[in-house]
Amino acid sequence: MLFVLCLLLGSCMKWEYGDEENFAVSGEGLFITCEGNFQYGNATLSYYDPEKKHVENEVFYRANAMKLGDVAQSMTIRNGVGWIVVNNSHVIFAVDVNTFKEVGRITNLTSPRYIHFVSDEKAYVTQLWDNRIFIVNPKRFEVTGYIECPNMTMESGSTEQMVQYGNYIYVNCWSYQNRILKIDSRTDEVVAELEVGIQPTSIVMDKNSKLWVVTDGGYAESPYGYEAPALYRIDAESFAIEKIFKFALGDSPSEIQINGTKDTVYWINDDVWAMSVDAERLPVRPFLPYDGTIYYGLSVNPRNGDVYVADAIDYVQPGKVYRYSAAGKKLDEFYVGITPGAFCWR
Amino acid sequence: MKKILYTMLFSLCLPLCGMAQGGVAREIDIPEVEVYGRRPMKEIGVQQTKFDSVVLKENIALSMADVLTFNSSVFVKSYGRATLSTVAFRGTSPSHTQVTWNGMRINNPMLGMTDFSMIPSYFIDDASLLHGTSSVGETGGGIGGAVKLSTKPAQADGFGLQYVQGVGSFKTFDEFLRLTYGNERWQLSTRAVYSSSPNDYKYRTRDKKENIYDDEMNIVGQYYPTERNRSGAYSDLHILQEAYYNTGRGDRFGLNAWYVNSNRELQMLTTDYADDTEFENMQREQSFRGMLSWDHLRSVWKLSAKAGYIHTNMAYDYKRDPGNGVMMVMTRSRSRVNTFYGEAAGEYYVGEEWLFTANVSAHQHFVESHDKNIIRQDGNQAVVGYDKGRIELSGSLSAKWRPTERFGVSVVLREEMFGREWTPVIPALFVDGVLSKRGNVMAKASVSRNFRFPTLNDLYFLPGGNPDLRKERGWSYDAGLSFGVGQKGVYSLSASANWFDSYVKDWIMWLPTPKGFFSPRNVKDVHAYGVELQAESSVALAKDLSLGLDGNFSWTPSINNGEPMSPADMSVGKQLPYVPEYSASLTANLKWRSWKLLYKWCYYSRRYTMSSNDLTLSGSLPTYYMNNVSLEKAISLSWADLNIKGAVNNLFDEEYMSVLSRPMPGINFEIFIGITPKWGTKTKK
Repeated sequence: MLFVLCLLLGSCMKWEYGDEENFAVSGEGLFITCEGNFQYGNATLSYYDPEKKHVENEVFYRANAMKLGDVAQSMTIRNGVGWIVVNNSHVIFAVDVNTFKEVGRITNLTSPRYIHFVSDEKAYVTQLWDNRIFIVNPKRFEVTGYIECPNMTMESGSTEQMVQYGNYIYVNCWSYQNRILKIDSRTDEVVAELEVGIQPTSIVMDKNSKLWVVTDGGYAESPYGYEAPALYRIDAESFAIEKIFKFALGDSPSEIQINGTKDTVYWINDDVWAMSVDAERLPVRPFLPYDGTIYYGLSVNPRNGDVYVADAIDYVQPGKVYRYSAAGKKLDEFYVGITPGAFCWR
Repeated sequence: MKKILYTMLFSLCLPLCGMAQGGVAREIDIPEVEVYGRRPMKEIGVQQTKFDSVVLKENIALSMADVLTFNSSVFVKSYGRATLSTVAFRGTSPSHTQVTWNGMRINNPMLGMTDFSMIPSYFIDDASLLHGTSSVGETGGGIGGAVKLSTKPAQADGFGLQYVQGVGSFKTFDEFLRLTYGNERWQLSTRAVYSSSPNDYKYRTRDKKENIYDDEMNIVGQYYPTERNRSGAYSDLHILQEAYYNTGRGDRFGLNAWYVNSNRELQMLTTDYADDTEFENMQREQSFRGMLSWDHLRSVWKLSAKAGYIHTNMAYDYKRDPGNGVMMVMTRSRSRVNTFYGEAAGEYYVGEEWLFTANVSAHQHFVESHDKNIIRQDGNQAVVGYDKGRIELSGSLSAKWRPTERFGVSVVLREEMFGREWTPVIPALFVDGVLSKRGNVMAKASVSRNFRFPTLNDLYFLPGGNPDLRKERGWSYDAGLSFGVGQKGVYSLSASANWFDSYVKDWIMWLPTPKGFFSPRNVKDVHAYGVELQAESSVALAKDLSLGLDGNFSWTPSINNGEPMSPADMSVGKQLPYVPEYSASLTANLKWRSWKLLYKWCYYSRRYTMSSNDLTLSGSLPTYYMNNVSLEKAISLSWADLNIKGAVNNLFDEEYMSVLSRPMPGINFEIFIGITPKWGTKTKK
């Protein structure tokens, strides 16, 4: 009798393995990388069709019958392949942007953040907790070398977003850092560095070849320092600061973005702000006023200037993305995965 | 047959013999049913689950997390084998569970919670769970409840020795040694446990696939790999020294000293593609908990005093080999906690109807937390961390009144001060009464207020600590019925059903900030309610043959009743993530002469991983059942008592996880051999 009871109590609790779903998308589209929760391996990838106003969630899992991983940090598309950097899984997945199926992966990374393509056979991958930027061969899915970053140890290492001007790649160094690095892509060496404010979080380049960098200013009691955050305009050619737009101490500007015509920069600072790249002072009124939540991600459709802003809500439920026209009119809203942090346009 | 069936369906068993006890006990040890009138006045209206030494010492390899998983209604959230395991009552969080060891609070003052995987059950002689309101009589801050752990004198007569060796799957070695000495006045005991394992169990993963490429690096095939648990090795050493001196004139002095040296790797997630030979992810802990105690007993009053000290040194290192064969530090964090503790308590009986108690305790914490080394803007090195102290005072007064054998009422008033902040008076009222002497049918009810102060990390952690946090506060209500019937040596059956209802306001949660780090905020109001069922039984089936069954069931909705965090918030009105709505456990114990068969089963319903209770492919933690079985044989030789035991864990080789991306081991085995030499002395039972 005990044996029978044991069998009843045992159940048939086997995990079911997923089926691979076939997708075939085309035209304009927006990928949203949802970080998930650190150490829980529940990052996801969503895909939004702006024309049909239709979103598909967990498309990586559904197309590949496996998880995306832990903390999907960013995504970059090149030649029909999407490169998804999954930070705490130490992997970059390459997926077909039409089917979402994996076509390869790069491993042997320390803590990858962003990938930037120098050519079809060379890309740079920035890292946290490493004083090197990794050089990879995307065709062979392998690490081919490293760029040593000056004045960094493994423990204090932090390199983030990259933009290119001619043969030079500009990288903002974020965590307990205050520098922009200039890398010569021909020699794979850091050739110059520029000090900005504390913790530059993001970087873009405008139509005038000016770099726009926003810093967060650190935090109170930080041994690295605490200051008013700022928006920096830097001339890429001379690699010199042209203008500093100061925010108030305690503000938290982040996520600087630029539109398709590269004449307007956007950022989050409680509200969503927009400013002409030719402006000489910060705007007085926001593009989108604060709506009782902390916005987490921001993107501008390069084709029509629609603005997408992500609300992570409590960071343990599906985040919501709001879509606005370039004039600030709400056009759509949709739920995605946990902690939507980055966007990538097809 | 009818009796057997009856017992199996409705009762639960008390395991009848523990390996640690050694010897060959052949009598049917079915206890007398507890009769209401004999219940201690201290327990008027108290809702508690007690664990006897048989449960606690069933297996030397068990931690308190394992014991609670299979023998109680609390939720044990385990991150893996020999990995962080936290305990939560009634839908609350692990930091809402207060844990005391011989009266001294051992919750980590930085995190607020306790890692139960670091408490070997072999070091605990007496354990009980105080559910909800019932914790107020013991300590403050137990919004969910309290776990009370104690050691006791060994009651040895002369010298005694016990040694148990366990060898199991995944090259697991467990060793336990106990030396005792006792006479009329002195009781001395030294216990040591050492456990180690590479812990590299195999598991099948569906979270990742391996690719097969052709020469052009095109994927030509994929498969789900069977992987080994990577970076999961551990070696834990615990030593517990105890000395008790009884004057024989009503005074008892005690010394307890517990040393822990733990080295544990932190297991890699199922979704981690790193090469585990290139990374080192290690947590080391050295702790010392010491206590001196004095009890002064008189016929109608008692005084006691305790002084204690806790030192904890935690080190976390995350390293990587950048390719030169040298492991370079990526994260190096250190924390050092020193806690000084003092407590005085008194009890005074007035006749048989009244009992008054008073208690005051103090915990003074000093915390140094170094979490990251950085290079400052001026090029010099600096450390990110904090160095803070906090005094925590707690005092209580209680009056317990039992005018008749059938009715009792107890009032507790507690007040606490953390730092410079006081709680309002925390009242608790307990009532119980006998509804029917036949069957010992009893009703209990209680109500209490409670508060929990933010932890030191909540307040000061860099970055993110929030010194403006408010303390969490709540009200809890309990009511229950119980009964017990039986006949000593023949059968016993008891059961209880309890309903609870609690409201917690200003629930603290850590949330990301726009600056990229997390920070705690008072964000949620939670309504937790439900039902807890417990039953115990044992029956003599024949001469030398007995069966026991023991069971628990909980239904614990824990609902977020806070304000929406934004217009898009879908979490209001939903079950809290990682809190199972249903859980159950069962143990069955069949004993025949010197043989013992023990079967353990537990069940947790689906846990949501999202506050919105969405079910997704990437966030699924389905229901799981766990089955363990062991067979034990006691052999009595002229010179020693021997015990041989074989245990099978995860009998049906379930693939399961308690936390996302952290696989648990499949079927695994362990054999134990124990020896207790007979040196012409006996251990009293």
